[in-house]
Amino acid sequence: MSVQAQLTKGKISLAGSAQVVTEFFRYGINSILFQRGIYPVEDFEAQKKYGLDIWVSNDQQVVKYLGRIMAAVEEWLAAGKINKLVLAVNARESRETLERWQFDVTLVEDDAKSGDKPSAPKSEKALRMEIQAIFRQIAASVSFLPILEEKCTFNILVYADSDAEVPTTWTDSDPLHVKNAEQVRLRSFSTDAHRIEALVAYKRDSELC
Amino acid sequence: MPEHLAKTPFGAGTPGQAKAPPRGLRDERQARPPSRSSGKPAAVPSSEGTGSALRVGGPPSPRAKKTKKPAAQYDRFIPNRSAMDIASSQFSIARADADAPLDGATAAYQEEIARACGVSINKRILTFREEAPTSDRDDLRQVYSRPALKSGAATAAKRRILNTPERVLDAPGLVDDYYLNLLDWSAGNMLAIGLDQSVYLWNASTGDVDSLCQLEGEAYVASVKWTSDGSYLAIGTSEGDVQVWDAESQSKVRTMAGHQARVGVMSWERHLLSSGCLDGSIWNHDVRVASHKVAELVAHSNEVCGLAWRSDGALLASGGNDNLLNIWDARSIVPKFSKTQHTAAVRALAWSPWKLDLLASGGGLHDRHVHFWNTTTTARLNSIDTGSQVTSIRWSVEYRELVTSHGLPHNHLALWSYPSLAKIVDIPAHDQRILHTAISPDGQTIATAASDESLKFWRIFETRSKAGKHSKAADGVAAAAAATSASMAAAAAAGPAAPSAGGLDISRPYSIR
Repeated sequence: MSVQAQLTKGKISLAGSAQVVTEFFRYGINSILFQRGIYPVEDFEAQKKYGLDIWVSNDQQVVKYLGRIMAAVEEWLAAGKINKLVLAVNARESRETLERWQFDVTLVEDDAKSGDKPSAPKSEKALRMEIQAIFRQIAASVSFLPILEEKCTFNILVYADSDAEVPTTWTDSDPLHVKNAEQVRLRSFSTDAHRIEALVAYKRDSELC
Repeated sequence: MPEHLAKTPFGAGTPGQAKAPPRGLRDERQARPPSRSSGKPAAVPSSEGTGSALRVGGPPSPRAKKTKKPAAQYDRFIPNRSAMDIASSQFSIARADADAPLDGATAAYQEEIARACGVSINKRILTFREEAPTSDRDDLRQVYSRPALKSGAATAAKRRILNTPERVLDAPGLVDDYYLNLLDWSAGNMLAIGLDQSVYLWNASTGDVDSLCQLEGEAYVASVKWTSDGSYLAIGTSEGDVQVWDAESQSKVRTMAGHQARVGVMSWERHLLSSGCLDGSIWNHDVRVASHKVAELVAHSNEVCGLAWRSDGALLASGGNDNLLNIWDARSIVPKFSKTQHTAAVRALAWSPWKLDLLASGGGLHDRHVHFWNTTTTARLNSIDTGSQVTSIRWSVEYRELVTSHGLPHNHLALWSYPSLAKIVDIPAHDQRILHTAISPDGQTIATAASDESLKFWRIFETRSKAGKHSKAADGVAAAAAATSASMAAAAAAGPAAPSAGGLDISRPYSIR
């Protein structure tokens, strides 16, 4: 009985968390696309979110494209089938990966053992502050990331469990690692059900070495 | 103490901890805490790795477990042990060991190892199949002209483009040579065509044909070109002479000799006539003075087959059989810049009538591309792979469109919208390659001459019916152009008004400064 109740509760919090995380991903990806100039500035508009102005694409094609990706991601998150989400920035001509933004997703299992005394849900404010910190870091990262001189495009990769349901719009891929990469770990945040850690890998500037 | 150690793996006994394999790896690290914890168990959680502390301390004292829990949540390296599966815990171990920021190679290596260890068996890397939308927005002008273009394309769809010629004439003896330019249509509505040794004038208003001249000896006509007002015709010959003829009196005004080989292409800029020669040189002739040669432009190493002055006379574009496209400043005898993108002879050259610095150039058999250039910035704006030899390019004055003529394999005319470069229509025009095209002074009709020795007229850029007052006059010219002998009188009546209106009409985009 109590197990049943707990399961239900766990499910709801997982789905709720999936929503929070998906929203974070959507804003995060938009923010990266803006900061890294994948699309021209005039295609973006500022939206208030997490107490910040976040630049979000208003190009219908891009919005639709990301929307389709995010729909799938949210389902996987809710089912707990996803380990990583990666945004790889590729040179359009050579297809070489120049930058790789990785978000590790860890499922925070509700401590079933602590049964009668569930951990206090995270306050919305604390969550917002954690997410805000990541966005500040994404914006700040422009200062150390190499300038993307070529025309670039991007790919979204998802590391999923093998038993995840895969829509036909998705296909297997190689990990698109950056060759000769420098990595910088960004901040992390966690909801009651997911923990997200961010990492950016970029091509080491050969001239500086 | 050994019993204590031995107890840990089994003693805990919860299902989550029953997963043996990853623990095995971890035990190395665990080996230390118990040894120290035997002394003072309470101090362990704060000083050591918490994951192991949880299990070590857990069973003996439930009270201690409670205090340790927060520590488990805030561990820097292993966020939550119980939530981990094989892959992530293994990866975490590697990460915890390598305290310092990872470098890409190590990360990649570790993932390779993880995969080699079979961890990836239950993992997949997925990508969204569809490509991200592209952002071809570099040229802002393109963005802003896009809506206009779309409406243009829409009207183009509504506009009926006949894929049958309006008129077909014979052109017997047309020399089948890609490098010659034997067709031109004047502002006075006279079509000049060079047929072997002769030049014929076809009056498009009346349909009359006159033989203008007949070259002597072995010489044949290699190029014809009208002045922008249509009063004089330049004829380039295979002997290297350039003749200037008066259209009105149909008499030769002068001959300008000097080229050592045939003159295959010419272009007028007011009183200046540029001629391109087989030897790769381009001469500028001032037709008003006795010593006519005022400049020699040498940059091509092979026959010059494309030559076009910009409408304001500031730039000259030249294309050669050496696959080069050169842009010359009128004041200079060295090229302003050269372009080597073409991989075959550059014969088709056309300046946009509505955008001064826009030039289209088309390559020959092995190239098949049309490139668009911004001649101010020297940037390549766009390219089309047409799929066949590009023999000429004509821009529409009225529409944001251009028409290209082609050789093998389809010998067709292709109509493109600009700047989207969407193909509007392909017109299968001739049985053999189209060699020359000319656009009528009202900008509505394209004449094509092909090596099947026929001359065809295509009304591709028909004026919009709602287009203002001059459209009627233009229609008049077009009607006259298609005149049959029966409507001769009517055409003659419309004659004085129509050609002048048409002439005005066409002279606007080509007007001088």
